[in-house]
Amino acid sequence: MTTRRIIACLDVKDGKVVKGVRFVDLKSKGDPAELASRYEEEGADEIVFLDISATVEGRRTLLEKVRETASVLSIPLTVGGGVRSVEDVSNLLSNGADKVSLNTIAVENPSVVSMASREFGAQAVVVAIDARRLGEGWRVFTRSGTRDTGLDAVEWAKRVEELGAGEILLTSIDRDGTRDGYDLELTRAVVSMTNVPVIASGGAGKPDHFLSVFKQAGADAALAAGIFHDGVIRIRDLKDYLKVAGIEVRT
Amino acid sequence: MKALILNYGVGNLFSISAGLRRADFTVEISGEPRDADLLVLPGVGAFSAVGNFMRKWESTLNDLRRNGVKFLGVCLGMQIMFEEGNEGGKTKGLAWLPGQVDLIKHAPKLPHIGWDRITERNPCSLSEGLDGRYAYFVHSYVAYTSYPAAMTSRYGVEFPALVCSEEVAGTQFHPEKSGETGKIFFQNLKRWLKT
Repeated sequence: MTTRRIIACLDVKDGKVVKGVRFVDLKSKGDPAELASRYEEEGADEIVFLDISATVEGRRTLLEKVRETASVLSIPLTVGGGVRSVEDVSNLLSNGADKVSLNTIAVENPSVVSMASREFGAQAVVVAIDARRLGEGWRVFTRSGTRDTGLDAVEWAKRVEELGAGEILLTSIDRDGTRDGYDLELTRAVVSMTNVPVIASGGAGKPDHFLSVFKQAGADAALAAGIFHDGVIRIRDLKDYLKVAGIEVRT
Repeated sequence: MKALILNYGVGNLFSISAGLRRADFTVEISGEPRDADLLVLPGVGAFSAVGNFMRKWESTLNDLRRNGVKFLGVCLGMQIMFEEGNEGGKTKGLAWLPGQVDLIKHAPKLPHIGWDRITERNPCSLSEGLDGRYAYFVHSYVAYTSYPAAMTSRYGVEFPALVCSEEVAGTQFHPEKSGETGKIFFQNLKRWLKT
């Protein structure tokens, strides 16, 4: 059985790793390549690198930082943030990304997902879904959580699988940075309605949260950022804890 | 040692180049196969697209192999060493190894993405120290073969994870993305190249 993956996420702004709460109030946490290789050493199964730069200058730094990070890593690297076209996907892949994550553009121009999937293979295409609870369901938001798309998150997840996404990176905006635990219901709903790996994201605060999102919600991977950057949880300790609790992880 | 990575014209060769460089190979990328200590068939693209590229160079590749050049195929690069592939329509492979490449049967989810254990079945110098270790896989297709694989893994079915002969090595996993497992593999590979 494929092991459950622990993924360390680097939110990168103008070449530096930052982290905020509910997508705002960003604080600097260090250099991406340095942090990424530290996480690999600690046992991370994968690194996600999300560019949240708003400026052209920041975007240019991005490719350099991706190259730098990819050169030192011997585990997979996913890069996302601000990807607008198949050409952007191609540029990231040729600068060291193993997979590229599409978010806003997937909603605004779904054909970019299918074209990228055809050209580079489904395994290289991750669709990131940022969802916020609304009544009985969850609504998809884009543009860093600022724009309500009106789309139902579970329906959208099914749709992106059809479009050719090889993986879904599912973030609960409500939980992001709160350390209150993953949104288990949201994760379970998407896992049960799709047939591609689902990465749960948003809300990790303690080892128990990882256990629940694997055991109760069926996530294939769990992503966290802040708790790793701040040393609240060491990945190695987390994996030991999960192993003892009966979850197969790579150790 | 010099590794020549064959560029089929599709996909990303950064990871495999970086992986080989970390293992102290001198890396060159070329669209034309030629003599090197190691010729690498990378794991990018679809079987049909790459199969067509291979047609063009088939006789060159066969000549190189006959002249003692050693090959490493990674993921798709290993798959095209088999007789035939079913990805994107039936496409002929290099037929260096017997068997067909087809979708993973009984797969819980496709693509198969993630870390799985690899198990030694028919030990060779390349499998040394790898039994029971985790390796990183990203694929939807596997080889169905009578050829005795050095190592296998299991996802829906048991499938070849590492095949080796005297002059040809192939991995279904990505050594360049497999952390410590990959580092061990590349060390084995360097020893294998010296024999």
